[in-house]
Amino acid sequence: MKIFREFSIKQNIVIAMMTISIIVILLSSFAYYFIFNSSMNDIVESSSKEINKQIIFNYENYINDVLNTARQIQKDTIRYDIATSKSELQDIYNKSVKVNENTISIVLLGLDGNIILSSDNDASQNTYLEEKDWFENALLDYSIFYFSSPHTQNVFRDGSSKVISVSKVISYIVNGEKRNAVLLIDISTEMIVDLSDHTNLGEGGHIVILNDDDSLIYSSIASCYNDTCESISIAKEIIIGGSYVIVDDIKMYASVNTLNATRWRIATFSNVEILNSSRTNMFIILSLIMIVTVSVVFYFANIITRRITSPLNKLNKHMLEIQENGELYSPLKVEGQKEIIYLSKAFNNMIVEIRRLMERVLREQKEKRKTEFIALQTQINPHFLYNTLDSIIWLSENKMNEQVVEMIVALSKYFRTSISQGKTIITAEEELEHARNYLLIQKIRYSSKFDYAFEIDEEILKVNAVKLILQPLIENAIYHGISSDEDGIIIIKAYQSDGLMVFEVENNGYGLTESQIEDIYLNMKSKIKNTSIGLKNIYQRLKLYYGDTANLEIISELDEKTIVRLTYPMKAQVK
Amino acid sequence: MILLIFVFTITLSSCKKTNYEIPFILYDEEDLFMMSFRDSIFLHNSSDITFKMYDSTNSQIIQNEIINGVLLDSPKLIIVNPVDRLGAYTIIEKSKLTDTPIIFINREPLAEDLLSWDKVYYVGAKPEQSAIYQAELVMELFGSNPNNLNNYDLNGDGKIQCIILKGQEGHQDAEIRTEAVVNEMEENGYDLEILKIESADFRTSVAFDVMNELLPIYRDQIEVIFSNNDAMAIGAINALKEDGFFTDDNEDGKVDSNIDNWIPVVGIDGIAEAIQLIEDGYLYGTVINDSESMAKAVIELSSAIFNNEDPETISYPILYGKYIWIDYKKYSLPIFEE
Repeated sequence: MKIFREFSIKQNIVIAMMTISIIVILLSSFAYYFIFNSSMNDIVESSSKEINKQIIFNYENYINDVLNTARQIQKDTIRYDIATSKSELQDIYNKSVKVNENTISIVLLGLDGNIILSSDNDASQNTYLEEKDWFENALLDYSIFYFSSPHTQNVFRDGSSKVISVSKVISYIVNGEKRNAVLLIDISTEMIVDLSDHTNLGEGGHIVILNDDDSLIYSSIASCYNDTCESISIAKEIIIGGSYVIVDDIKMYASVNTLNATRWRIATFSNVEILNSSRTNMFIILSLIMIVTVSVVFYFANIITRRITSPLNKLNKHMLEIQENGELYSPLKVEGQKEIIYLSKAFNNMIVEIRRLMERVLREQKEKRKTEFIALQTQINPHFLYNTLDSIIWLSENKMNEQVVEMIVALSKYFRTSISQGKTIITAEEELEHARNYLLIQKIRYSSKFDYAFEIDEEILKVNAVKLILQPLIENAIYHGISSDEDGIIIIKAYQSDGLMVFEVENNGYGLTESQIEDIYLNMKSKIKNTSIGLKNIYQRLKLYYGDTANLEIISELDEKTIVRLTYPMKAQVK
Repeated sequence: MILLIFVFTITLSSCKKTNYEIPFILYDEEDLFMMSFRDSIFLHNSSDITFKMYDSTNSQIIQNEIINGVLLDSPKLIIVNPVDRLGAYTIIEKSKLTDTPIIFINREPLAEDLLSWDKVYYVGAKPEQSAIYQAELVMELFGSNPNNLNNYDLNGDGKIQCIILKGQEGHQDAEIRTEAVVNEMEENGYDLEILKIESADFRTSVAFDVMNELLPIYRDQIEVIFSNNDAMAIGAINALKEDGFFTDDNEDGKVDSNIDNWIPVVGIDGIAEAIQLIEDGYLYGTVINDSESMAKAVIELSSAIFNNEDPETISYPILYGKYIWIDYKKYSLPIFEE
């Protein structure tokens, strides 16, 4: 599996499709080839057997003809008394010879070998016929007709041509007495040749006829008359039955069967090279199909994968460009399958979102800097400084040295916190300290026209806080929340509530009406510049640093008190 | 799983079974005698061996194929009823290769072939014997005295006028039965006048036709009809019935051999139909080819070979270590002499 991961989609798909198609084709080809092969074998085998049967049938027909003639002669011979009716018998013999052109002669011989009757008048009597094979074999078993091997019968006319002798012991009558004699019918070997000529055994196919001692009776090919003949040894080995053999490098089906009424066996060798050639053809065809299919599959696999991977490649290229150049403004245009289009749309959306976020971050950074600047600007308000310095001068002139020192220390601390080494985020403790310093300064300046108090939950001292968010609220409380006719009191609260950090600045001035509060909110949230810089600046900075959960509320009861409450999450990640 | 084991066991046991089966290759299952022989085999087989029948449908080529096939299963022996007795040597040669003993039945291979191997046996009847018994039946009918024939010598000329229905021309049984029955009659001094020897191919229908041709010529001369087998004898009786012989006066399906128009017909084989005809009085007699004894002998011999016992220990004598000869049996009507 690991290897596949290293390939591309294209390679994976192509390899998978090729593998599947090759496996399918190979399996079906094998199956087809084997089925074809075995049925082809069956067909060839059965047709070879059929040819063998046909050949045997032909020979048996012929042999039955010969035997019928012989039996007729046997029957006729016993009907006549040779002593009195020799001429009638002679007539029958002469006629019987002419019935079949392959019958050469019909002879009746006494058991001493003397000729009793012969269809051939030229028969010479000086050879020892009783020593011939056909004579001796006929005497071995009276019940059967003996068929000899082809031989030259030099006693009779046409002695040069080869004949097959059919012989049997039969009875004849001399002077009313029954005697045994040997009936001899010579038939021409032509008949075997004729019958074998009409067979269709294919190129190189041939017939071999063997006697019971495996000696050759006949072969349709000349080579079998020499000593080395494969066909004869094959037929000997098979005895009876059939099998595939190779003769002279040709594949043959050899079928060996007995020939009824004789002791002969006929072996037919039919050419079955067609098996090999059709097998080769089948192989070639199957290979071609395989090659064509595999190339077609390869071609289509390539096309399909290209359609899938080219948009992916385009996407990839686009991503690389973004990575290298930070190019976020040209949208990706990809065509292809649904999934790819969705992917590219999602990608485009992502890019747009990234762009938006980046812009927002930039804008927020700018805002922060700006609001901070404004905050600082209000802190280092020259009027505040002049007024404070004026107060210090006034205190000095009146020799109020203690207050002078107190005031200068507070002022110094006040500015130190304002600048605080350029940090924007400080602890709540520092912010509260800053507020205390401011109040101290203002209280001296306003000659205790108001009083103030801190209510602080000690646990929140280390909580972070955006600097300079309390001072503007206190400043508002002093300028707007203290009525001239009664003593003003300003209470600063810092506590936690439900995970929120809460700062409250409370005064007991005239208070604000609902509509006034609404106006303040509207001003605070609008982007238009207006005079109420203080609240708006705090509001914006809370939102910038602590997100949407940060808030600024104004709660007011007319002629009672007004509370400005700042809340933001204690554990907020400061932006 | 259990099913799988079950199937496996069945296959195993069936495999085992085939090994114990002895191939029994008939020359032709349609042959009436082979039918009764096959039935006898199944009826009398009480041994531990089983036989599997094959039909060569009277074709040596098919028989050769069957033999080639069964030898592949290396049976302990094979039983062959050859189609062509001359071709039997090839079966012996083939069996030698696998050392499979052979029992030939009913058709006798040549002696030289049987003697070529010591694991070849032949169980059968001597064809001459059937003819001799047939001749004896006729001799008994005619009074057993050649010089003084009884009233079945219808014309009283001292000769027996006969018709011989011969089996298939060239068939060993047909030739031997025909020749031997004539010889036996003559050797016993009977003067046989053969009106006609006609082949009817061992078949009932052919015999019926042949008799219909012969009756117009010889109907008044025939004193006895010899038939090479029962089937042809039945055909001859059918023809004779149509011609007015064998009148069944009381129509009980039986005839009396004492009536005037009764003609003796003798067959060979002893098939069931022929036995029935004898019991009904139509057929004078038949020579029973004793399929029962032959089946018993084959079973005993097979069992001995199968169990590697000495074949000589069986209850049938084995001649020259090869031949078990089964005797024919005569079966005929009682003879009434006046």
